[in-house]
Amino acid sequence: MKAKMGLTALFLIFLVGLWLVVAPFAVGYQPRGAAYADATVNDLWVGGVLAGGSFVVLVAYAADALREITGRGRHSAD
Amino acid sequence: MIRKFVGAVAAALALMAGLWLMIAPFALGTQPESGDWIGATRSEFFTGLGVAVLGVVGVAAFVASIHEELVARGLVTVRERRPRPEPRPAPEPAPVAPQSSSAELATLLAPLVEALREDLNRTGEHRQNGTTTLVGAEDDR
Repeated sequence: MKAKMGLTALFLIFLVGLWLVVAPFAVGYQPRGAAYADATVNDLWVGGVLAGGSFVVLVAYAADALREITGRGRHSAD
Repeated sequence: MIRKFVGAVAAALALMAGLWLMIAPFALGTQPESGDWIGATRSEFFTGLGVAVLGVVGVAAFVASIHEELVARGLVTVRERRPRPEPRPAPEPAPVAPQSSSAELATLLAPLVEALREDLNRTGEHRQNGTTTLVGAEDDR
Protein backbone atom coordinates (compact mmCIF):
# COMPACT_ATOMS: atom_id res chain seq x y z
CA MET A 1 0.00 0.00 0.00
CA LYS A 2 2.77 2.39 0.95
CA ALA A 3 4.79 1.38 -2.08
CA LYS A 4 1.75 2.14 -4.22
CA MET A 5 1.67 5.62 -2.80
CA GLY A 6 5.33 6.07 -3.69
CA LEU A 7 4.69 4.78 -7.20
CA THR A 8 1.80 7.21 -7.56
CA ALA A 9 4.10 10.05 -6.49
CA LEU A 10 6.66 8.94 -9.07
CA PHE A 11 4.01 8.84 -11.77
CA LEU A 12 2.86 12.34 -10.87
CA ILE A 13 6.48 13.51 -10.95
CA PHE A 14 6.71 12.05 -14.44
CA LEU A 15 3.64 14.07 -15.49
CA VAL A 16 5.03 17.23 -13.91
CA GLY A 17 8.29 16.67 -15.80
CA LEU A 18 6.33 16.57 -19.03
CA TRP A 19 4.56 19.75 -18.03
CA LEU A 20 7.88 21.46 -17.38
CA VAL A 21 9.02 20.61 -20.88
CA VAL A 22 5.98 22.20 -22.48
CA ALA A 23 5.50 25.01 -19.91
CA PRO A 24 7.69 27.65 -21.63
CA PHE A 25 5.63 27.36 -24.75
CA ALA A 26 2.28 26.86 -23.03
CA VAL A 27 2.64 29.74 -20.60
CA GLY A 28 4.21 31.94 -23.26
CA TYR A 29 7.47 33.10 -21.76
CA GLN A 30 9.41 31.58 -24.65
CA PRO A 31 8.75 33.56 -27.83
CA ARG A 32 8.51 31.54 -31.00
CA GLY A 33 11.52 31.66 -33.21
CA ALA A 34 13.68 33.39 -30.64
CA ALA A 35 16.71 31.90 -28.93
CA TYR A 36 15.84 29.91 -25.84
CA ALA A 37 15.71 32.01 -22.72
CA ASP A 38 17.48 30.89 -19.57
CA ALA A 39 14.18 29.92 -17.96
CA THR A 40 13.29 27.82 -20.97
CA VAL A 41 16.60 25.99 -20.96
CA ASN A 42 16.28 25.35 -17.22
CA ASP A 43 12.74 24.05 -17.56
CA LEU A 44 13.64 21.79 -20.47
CA TRP A 45 16.58 20.26 -18.63
CA VAL A 46 14.87 19.81 -15.29
CA GLY A 47 11.63 18.63 -16.85
CA GLY A 48 13.42 16.21 -19.11
CA VAL A 49 15.48 14.76 -16.28
CA LEU A 50 12.44 14.44 -14.04
CA ALA A 51 10.29 12.81 -16.68
CA GLY A 52 13.05 10.55 -17.96
CA GLY A 53 14.29 9.55 -14.52
CA SER A 54 10.90 8.79 -13.09
CA PHE A 55 9.97 6.86 -16.23
CA VAL A 56 13.09 4.71 -15.97
CA VAL A 57 12.43 4.02 -12.30
CA LEU A 58 8.80 3.12 -12.96
CA VAL A 59 9.78 0.73 -15.73
CA ALA A 60 12.52 -0.84 -13.60
CA TYR A 61 10.07 -1.25 -10.73
CA ALA A 62 7.54 -2.93 -12.98
CA ALA A 63 10.20 -5.17 -14.49
CA ASP A 64 11.45 -6.28 -11.08
CA ALA A 65 7.89 -6.96 -9.93
CA LEU A 66 7.29 -9.06 -13.05
CA ARG A 67 10.51 -10.97 -12.45
CA GLU A 68 9.42 -11.72 -8.92
CA ILE A 69 6.01 -12.92 -10.07
CA THR A 70 7.48 -15.22 -12.69
CA GLY A 71 9.93 -16.56 -10.11
CA ARG A 72 7.10 -17.46 -7.79
CA GLY A 73 5.28 -19.22 -10.63
CA ARG A 74 8.36 -21.24 -11.43
CA HIS A 75 8.75 -22.32 -7.82
CA SER A 76 5.12 -23.32 -7.52
CA ALA A 77 5.35 -25.31 -10.77
CA ASP A 78 8.31 -27.23 -9.36
CA MET B 1 13.45 -4.34 -1.61
CA ILE B 2 16.01 -2.93 -4.04
CA ARG B 3 13.34 -1.45 -6.26
CA LYS B 4 11.80 0.37 -3.32
CA PHE B 5 15.19 1.74 -2.45
CA VAL B 6 15.64 2.93 -6.02
CA GLY B 7 12.21 4.54 -5.82
CA ALA B 8 13.15 6.34 -2.63
CA VAL B 9 16.36 7.64 -4.20
CA ALA B 10 14.48 8.83 -7.27
CA ALA B 11 11.93 10.60 -5.09
CA ALA B 12 14.72 12.26 -3.13
CA LEU B 13 16.31 13.49 -6.36
CA ALA B 14 12.91 14.81 -7.44
CA LEU B 15 12.67 16.66 -4.14
CA MET B 16 15.98 18.36 -4.81
CA ALA B 17 14.93 19.20 -8.35
CA GLY B 18 11.76 20.76 -7.00
CA LEU B 19 13.72 22.90 -4.58
CA TRP B 20 15.97 23.99 -7.41
CA LEU B 21 12.97 24.93 -9.54
CA MET B 22 11.66 27.12 -6.74
CA ILE B 23 14.83 29.17 -6.53
CA ALA B 24 15.87 28.98 -10.18
CA PRO B 25 14.17 32.23 -11.35
CA PHE B 26 16.05 34.17 -8.68
CA ALA B 27 19.30 32.28 -9.11
CA LEU B 28 19.33 32.61 -12.88
CA GLY B 29 18.19 36.22 -12.78
CA THR B 30 15.13 35.76 -14.95
CA GLN B 31 12.97 37.35 -12.26
CA PRO B 32 13.53 41.11 -11.96
CA GLU B 33 14.37 42.10 -8.41
CA SER B 34 11.66 44.73 -8.27
CA GLY B 35 8.10 44.21 -9.32
CA ASP B 36 5.65 41.35 -9.36
CA TRP B 37 6.56 37.87 -10.37
CA ILE B 38 6.54 37.27 -14.10
CA GLY B 39 4.81 34.28 -15.68
CA ALA B 40 7.97 32.20 -15.90
CA THR B 41 8.72 32.72 -12.22
CA ARG B 42 5.20 31.79 -11.15
CA SER B 43 5.21 28.71 -13.33
CA GLU B 44 8.60 27.48 -12.16
CA PHE B 45 8.03 28.26 -8.51
CA PHE B 46 4.69 26.51 -8.15
CA THR B 47 5.73 23.60 -10.33
CA GLY B 48 8.83 23.22 -8.18
CA LEU B 49 6.70 23.36 -5.05
CA GLY B 50 4.52 20.57 -6.39
CA VAL B 51 7.54 18.47 -7.34
CA ALA B 52 9.08 18.99 -3.90
CA VAL B 53 5.88 17.93 -2.14
CA LEU B 54 5.59 14.86 -4.36
CA GLY B 55 9.22 14.06 -3.64
CA VAL B 56 8.65 14.22 0.10
CA VAL B 57 5.58 12.01 -0.19
CA GLY B 58 7.46 9.54 -2.37
CA VAL B 59 10.44 9.32 -0.05
CA ALA B 60 8.23 8.87 3.00
CA ALA B 61 6.12 6.21 1.30
CA PHE B 62 9.07 4.19 0.01
CA VAL B 63 10.96 4.40 3.28
CA ALA B 64 7.88 3.30 5.19
CA SER B 65 7.42 0.43 2.76
CA ILE B 66 11.05 -0.67 3.18
CA HIS B 67 10.68 -0.53 6.96
CA GLU B 68 7.51 -2.57 6.76
CA GLU B 69 9.25 -5.23 4.68
CA LEU B 70 12.21 -5.37 7.05
CA VAL B 71 9.87 -5.86 9.98
CA ALA B 72 7.99 -8.59 8.10
CA ARG B 73 11.26 -10.42 7.44
CA GLY B 74 12.27 -10.13 11.06
CA LEU B 75 15.34 -8.05 10.32
CA VAL B 76 14.07 -5.13 12.31
CA THR B 77 12.32 -5.36 15.61
CA VAL B 78 9.71 -2.87 16.48
CA ARG B 79 10.08 -1.40 19.89
CA GLU B 80 6.95 -1.66 21.84
CA ARG B 81 6.01 1.57 23.38
CA ARG B 82 5.74 1.15 27.07
CA PRO B 83 2.69 2.80 28.44
CA ARG B 84 3.54 5.49 30.87
CA PRO B 85 3.10 4.33 34.42
CA GLU B 86 0.08 6.00 35.78
CA PRO B 87 0.79 8.06 38.84
CA ARG B 88 -0.29 6.28 41.91
CA PRO B 89 -3.31 7.84 43.45
CA ALA B 90 -2.50 9.62 46.64
CA PRO B 91 -3.34 7.50 49.64
CA GLU B 92 -6.63 8.51 50.97
CA PRO B 93 -6.46 9.96 54.42
CA ALA B 94 -7.83 7.67 57.01
CA PRO B 95 -11.40 8.57 57.62
CA VAL B 96 -11.70 10.32 60.87
CA ALA B 97 -14.56 9.06 62.82
CA PRO B 98 -16.53 12.03 63.98
CA GLN B 99 -17.56 10.08 67.02
CA SER B 100 -14.01 9.58 68.20
CA SER B 101 -13.03 13.23 67.58
CA SER B 102 -15.95 14.54 69.56
CA ALA B 103 -15.20 12.02 72.27
CA GLU B 104 -11.58 13.19 72.40
CA LEU B 105 -12.71 16.76 72.49
CA ALA B 106 -15.07 15.97 75.31
CA THR B 107 -12.26 14.21 77.16
CA LEU B 108 -9.99 17.20 76.72
CA LEU B 109 -12.57 19.68 77.80
CA ALA B 110 -13.90 17.67 80.69
CA PRO B 111 -11.38 18.98 83.30
CA LEU B 112 -11.98 22.52 82.17
CA VAL B 113 -15.74 22.13 82.43
CA GLU B 114 -15.33 20.53 85.79
CA ALA B 115 -13.13 23.35 87.02
CA LEU B 116 -15.60 25.94 85.81
CA ARG B 117 -18.43 24.14 87.50
CA GLU B 118 -16.60 24.01 90.78
CA ASP B 119 -15.70 27.64 90.40
CA LEU B 120 -19.30 28.59 89.83
CA ASN B 121 -20.40 26.59 92.86
CA ARG B 122 -17.94 28.45 95.01
CA THR B 123 -19.23 31.90 94.07
CA GLY B 124 -21.33 32.15 97.22
CA GLU B 125 -18.67 30.76 99.53
CA HIS B 126 -16.07 32.80 101.42
CA ARG B 127 -12.85 32.75 99.52
CA GLN B 128 -9.52 32.58 101.21
CA ASN B 129 -6.58 34.80 100.31
CA GLY B 130 -8.86 37.23 98.58
CA THR B 131 -9.20 35.16 95.55
CA THR B 132 -12.20 35.70 93.43
CA THR B 133 -13.99 33.36 91.20
CA LEU B 134 -13.01 33.25 87.60
CA VAL B 135 -16.49 34.19 86.50
CA GLY B 136 -16.64 37.01 88.94
CA ALA B 137 -13.28 38.34 87.82
CA GLU B 138 -14.44 38.30 84.24
CA ASP B 139 -17.64 40.12 85.18
CA ASP B 140 -15.70 42.80 87.01
CA ARG B 141 -13.69 43.70 83.93
